[in-house]
This record gives sequence, C-alpha cells and structure tokens, in this order.
Amino acid sequence: MKRARIAHEGRVLWVEVAEDGEVLRLPDGGSVKAADAVWLPPVTPGATIFALGLNYADHNKELGFQSKEPPLVFLKGPNTLSGHNGTTLRPTDANQMHPECELVAVIGKPARSVSVVRALDHVSGYTIACDYAVREYLENYYRPNARVKNRDGATPLGPWVVDAADIADPQALALRTTVNGKTVQDGSTADMVMSVAELISYLSATMTLMPGDLILTGTPQGVHYCEAGDRVVCEIEGIGRLSNTLVGDKAA
Amino acid sequence: MLAGTVYGVVLNDRDERAGLADAFAVSPYKAPPEAPVVYIKPRNCFARSGAEVFIGDEDVEVAATLGLLIGRDAARTAVADALAHVAGVCLALDVTVPHESYYRPVVPLRCRDGFLPLGDFAAFAPSILTTEIVTTVDGNSVHRWAPTRLVRDAATLIADLSAFMTLAAGDVLLIGLPYDAPCVRAGQSVTVTSGSLPTLKAQFNAGDAR
Repeated sequence: MKRARIAHEGRVLWVEVAEDGEVLRLPDGGSVKAADAVWLPPVTPGATIFALGLNYADHNKELGFQSKEPPLVFLKGPNTLSGHNGTTLRPTDANQMHPECELVAVIGKPARSVSVVRALDHVSGYTIACDYAVREYLENYYRPNARVKNRDGATPLGPWVVDAADIADPQALALRTTVNGKTVQDGSTADMVMSVAELISYLSATMTLMPGDLILTGTPQGVHYCEAGDRVVCEIEGIGRLSNTLVGDKAA
Repeated sequence: MLAGTVYGVVLNDRDERAGLADAFAVSPYKAPPEAPVVYIKPRNCFARSGAEVFIGDEDVEVAATLGLLIGRDAARTAVADALAHVAGVCLALDVTVPHESYYRPVVPLRCRDGFLPLGDFAAFAPSILTTEIVTTVDGNSVHRWAPTRLVRDAATLIADLSAFMTLAAGDVLLIGLPYDAPCVRAGQSVTVTSGSLPTLKAQFNAGDAR
C-alpha cells in the first residue's frame, strides 16, 4: 500500500495510491488522476525530522571523512519540505548546490530504548527525500549548519509513503538520482554505515520517537552541482520516483 | 503543547564570543561564525512549567532564556519589521548535557525527553528584551543575565534567519543562551523569573536518563 498527501478541492487529504499508480483514491470513495494531483510532502504536522550526515561509506570517502562514532545526527524544520513535482529555490550564488537522494523511515509506533532487533517493528513505512545541500554556505558550527540544510523548500519528500510490509529489506534498495536524465548518484542502502534499525535504536536511547517522525538516513556518493532549471529525480527501488525542479531566485 | 517548531541559537552571547575568539581561529572552526548557529528542540523535549525532568548521575546545564512565539510568518523580513511578527513570549529553560564543542550538532545531548520546560505565554512587549532573567536553584539566586548581552538582538536574529528559513506562525524562537548558565543535579528545583512573565519551574529528579 502507498499513501500520499495531496491538496484537493480546498482540503489536505491522505489518499491511497492505486496499484497501477495512475489513480488516487480519496477517503470519501472518490478518486483523482495521479497526473492531476497537487502533491504535498507525506508528513504529519509536528513530526520530528531527523537527518543523518556521513552515513554512507562511499560518500564519506568521496568527501574525505573517516566513518566514525557517534553518528552525525541533525534536525530539520517542516519549512524545509516540499512535495513531489514541486520546485526548490536555487540561490543565485549557490554554485555548489547538490541533491542528496535519501531513504526516509517513517516511525509508526512510539519507540523508547528499542533494541536493534526490534527496531523495524516501529517503522510504518518508507519514502524518499531529495535533501539539497549548498556547500558554499557550510560553516564549522553545528555542521551541517542551518543555512546549508534548513532552507525553505529545499527538501522535497515523497511522492508517497510505502508500507513497511511492502519493503522486505530496507538495507537492500538501489538509490539513484538523475539530473535532466543523467545519472549522478547510483548507490545502495547496503552501504549505510548505520542501518535503519541501528539508527532507530541509537536515537531511541535518548529520545522517545513518535508516530510520524521521519529519519532521513543519509546519501551515497555522487556530488553533482545543479543549475536553475534542472529537473532532479530521486528514485529508490520499491518506493518510487520523486521529481523536483530547481528555480532561480525571483527576488534577485 | 506547541503546534510549531522550536528553534534556538547558540553562540549569540557577546561575552561568550569574546572568550572563544582564539578558539574560533583554529581547527575545527577556522573562522568565527557568520550565520546564526541554529538548533531545534523537537517535540519530545517539550514540558510544562512544574514538570519533572529526569536525568542520570551527571549534572545538566540549565540555560534560562526567552521563547518568542511567532504570530505571523516571517520570511525575508527586515529588521525594522521583525518584532511585528512576534505575538507572545514565554520563559524557557534549555537543558543540555554539558559539552564543549560546537563543531557538530549535539542532538543526543540537547534533545532528550523533557529537556525544554516552557512557561506560560504572555503577550509580547519589547520591554521584556531588556529585562533581567533570574535563575534560582533550591531557593538561591544563582544566575542573572539580560538579552541585552546578545550578539544578534531579537529583531536582527529574526531577520537573519528569515533570509533562508521561514519562521512560521506558531513557531517559537529561543533567542540565545548565556554561556555561564548554571548546572544542576538530580534532586534540585529550578525557578526562572523575568519581569511580569509567568514564572517557570522545573524539578530535576533521578530517573531514566533520557
């Protein structure tokens, strides 16, 4: 089962995506064509949004970092999210803005001091994030700092949440990013430094995770700097394809 | 208890910046911070005044500050207009396990369950931004500071953040932390006051350190 969140006739609705992906079933029994949908990020208001840096061995090598404990965890605000087929602002001076395709785990049940073995029982589903970063704005304080990672609309999320039951092994999924059709990231969740289960166990040791909370689990190698007008598609095996277009700064 | 996101900033205390000037010049920082250094206190941290905060054997740092309740979305807001976006204000006690480094985010240290007791909100008036904030531990006044110590005052902070991240109606902005905030241990009670704002109390007890 896939569940999406859309804007429909003046309301925000969670809808079911039909098997063929062409039709969205509304809660009142009606339906809309997927091609006509206004996609919103599939998140419940108030959710805590965790993100991981340096959680893929291949990406760490590319950036010159050693894999090390403890994991690099940061938080994001809901201002950062945007829906499938949306746009993201590329600041005029952001010559080093790059997309990061990430597997996102959605928490389904409260999790507190959960063991690695039981951790995936607390996941209700998975979605995709395209977590843009602007490397010019990196500073060495709470790195990656907010100006890099907490920008309005710079984390497209979606298109939908796939039920956890439909993902046999979250550590065996191919991830790919294309920019204008050209592949710029091509990795596997098998290369995560800490698995989804290990991350949930780690976070739940000091914080109670709540239903709806999101964990963006990091990105594999492939740093590609984008231009305004680029169409960026992040794809994860078994989940779907998340599309986004970069736009220039209207106020500049 | 809050619909919005709670944002805070570190390194916004002028006295702290002066003391760290030499450290900022060398690795891993290499240069002083330019943009505000932002953190988020997620919803598991939220606690009402009077709540118990469970900690382990270690002392925790308790930094009293103001939380500004945003009433109207602030996006690319000018300094002169910034405070018009603030609807309310409360006292906040930002609790963290003490740490030295500002290089990496410290989510597991700063964002444990109950680590943000918040007082009741009052209508915002700018005079609170120059009023002393007093922290009392077990009845003894142990710390005083005022937001006049901030590097970026409230209006400048809102303007600088809103350049790249919208502060939405319902969000709360913690305007800065005093570098010399006191530490407390299990068994101690903390009271924070400032002017006529509703008093904030928190009881620190030994328990599941989370």
